[in-house]
Amino acid sequence: MSRLPLCGSPFQPLHAVGARFDTPDALIAAFKRLRDAGYTAVDCYTPYPVHGLAETMRLPKSLLSFLVLGGGLTAIVLALSMQLIPSNLIYPIVVDGKPTGLAGLPQYVPIVVALTLMIGAVAAVKGMIILGGMPRLNHPMLAWDLFAKDASRGFFLAVAARDRNFSIGAVSEILEDAGAGDITAIHLEEPDSE
Amino acid sequence: MSASATNETETPDLSAIARPPQVLNNRGPLWVTDAVCSIVEGKTPLWWYAGITVSGAFAAAGLACILYMIVTGVGVWGSNSPAFWAWDITNFIFWVSMAHAGSFISAVLFLTRQKWSLSVSRAAEAMTVFAIVCAGVYPAIHIGRVWFVWFLFPVPNNYGMWPNFSSPLLWDVFAVSSYLTVSSLFWFAGMIPDLAVLRDRATTKIRKFCYGVASLGWLGTARQWRHYESMYVLLAGLTAVLVVTVTTIVASDCATSVIPGWHATIFPFYFMAGAVYSGSATVLTLLIPLRALYPQLKDLITPSQLEKVAKLLLMMGSCVAYVYVFELFCAWYSGNAFERGAFWERFHGTAAWYAITCLTINLTVPQLFWFKRIRTCLPLVFVLAILCNVGMWFERFMIVTTSLLHDFLPSSWGNFHPSIVDILTATGTVGIFFTLFLLFIRFVPVMSMNELKAALPGAQPQHSGEEH
Repeated sequence: MSRLPLCGSPFQPLHAVGARFDTPDALIAAFKRLRDAGYTAVDCYTPYPVHGLAETMRLPKSLLSFLVLGGGLTAIVLALSMQLIPSNLIYPIVVDGKPTGLAGLPQYVPIVVALTLMIGAVAAVKGMIILGGMPRLNHPMLAWDLFAKDASRGFFLAVAARDRNFSIGAVSEILEDAGAGDITAIHLEEPDSE
Repeated sequence: MSASATNETETPDLSAIARPPQVLNNRGPLWVTDAVCSIVEGKTPLWWYAGITVSGAFAAAGLACILYMIVTGVGVWGSNSPAFWAWDITNFIFWVSMAHAGSFISAVLFLTRQKWSLSVSRAAEAMTVFAIVCAGVYPAIHIGRVWFVWFLFPVPNNYGMWPNFSSPLLWDVFAVSSYLTVSSLFWFAGMIPDLAVLRDRATTKIRKFCYGVASLGWLGTARQWRHYESMYVLLAGLTAVLVVTVTTIVASDCATSVIPGWHATIFPFYFMAGAVYSGSATVLTLLIPLRALYPQLKDLITPSQLEKVAKLLLMMGSCVAYVYVFELFCAWYSGNAFERGAFWERFHGTAAWYAITCLTINLTVPQLFWFKRIRTCLPLVFVLAILCNVGMWFERFMIVTTSLLHDFLPSSWGNFHPSIVDILTATGTVGIFFTLFLLFIRFVPVMSMNELKAALPGAQPQHSGEEH
């Protein structure tokens, strides 16, 4: 095994072995080889959504739509009670002879629609941020200059050192075989390096 | 022809029906990144300073007028009996409607997989957000005593007072605030991966920090993209509903009243068609100069895409024309003396020139886009698009104000003259709009780099995973 280039602090534990590929095809092929070799803690980083990558990685379907549904249903209940309770119980007003009670439901629909869409959208964005592990100010991968400065230039892959089968030599061999460039050992940074 | 007629040896020539390329000159992903980022990273051009000085001056004058109105009272406006709604609501409807084309382009065209809209959608969404900001200026201040604006919200208070939830004016409050929230979220969330690219490329510490915070620590992992794509479809779906509901609610402000000229069931469609019409005109007004000022965008904002926006304008302009004719027909056919009187007055009364200007522009200018030669001549399209928006402003005025001038009682007929404060507040909102748009161009990526790159030929794997 040849010495891998290293980033981060050599005195800190190894976080992962990273590699760069030029095409999404090469990335997917390398991922499959690693998977077949039994590695599970492999993550892929791409500059845009690559079709089929999530299926290859067997990522589960995003739960986001359920969160949005939940947000929307909550909004319906809130918006209805927000309108029905004041206008029927606390401060009933009859305007233009418009009916009150259940017969008056249609007049509450516009606000229900508006709030359902609003809370649904907030749930979608908040859900995406939280499920995606954000917001965060730093990440061990960012110790790798090539990735941190130019992630938009390639398709990156990292095998985490916490993987049960992890061995730096075997991983870099598989990656090299798969045609990866810039294979790098990514160590954590010194805690107070900044 | 059946599919069996073609075999491996003779592949049919599909060039005639092929879609025009998304990005011209076979540009690659790296070129796209550089071209879009260079606008933010390069030196600020001189015209930008000139533009923001002018638009900032207008915005400042408008804000000064608003302040003057607040400390003095709504009497400084020209609004008076019977036109209690005049430039304030005209401008509110004008701006909030304009916003709709942005949502239409970014949400409806995204859901229908219209790939051509990719490079214009970010700017169109920005236009949406800024137009709602301009619209939002008015409802709050037109109530006169702005410190009572909280009356609009159901806040438990010691007067024991609650809003009237059956009023379309209150629906407006919720419709517009939800529209602003959803479209800002859609705009911002779509930008996160692109802000991360700017963070990665940042050379100064301040930029790195600002873009780093704005991009929320995006890394582009497969899991993040999975949730992101799911979110994008969901937001597009929610926004697509908003495109229809917000103008419908705004149209109800007029349609649910009994004023002749307002009381019509066609109003939601009327407002909706006008909305996408004026919004497409604004998209053209913004993108044609943007493309000329930043030549690197010429391969990204292609003439073919702008032509499609022009076609959208033509279609919506034709819907607007249909409604004009239909509205006049209904006024005549209803046999209702007040309705007939209101429409007769619209074209013969003291405010007739508003209606005549509106109809002259909106019935003729969009129809010019039937001609390919006109549609593809960008300087001409730019001028015509501005004219369309002028026509739309007159339309909003015609609907909102001239209807009020002539209702049931001759004793309450009247006229309207705008005051200088009215005029400067309106030009002030134009200033606010362009100031925000100039800041947008300078500080965030004007188009969605990740969507553009994903749509480039060869960007997607040829043999994607076996486990489909």
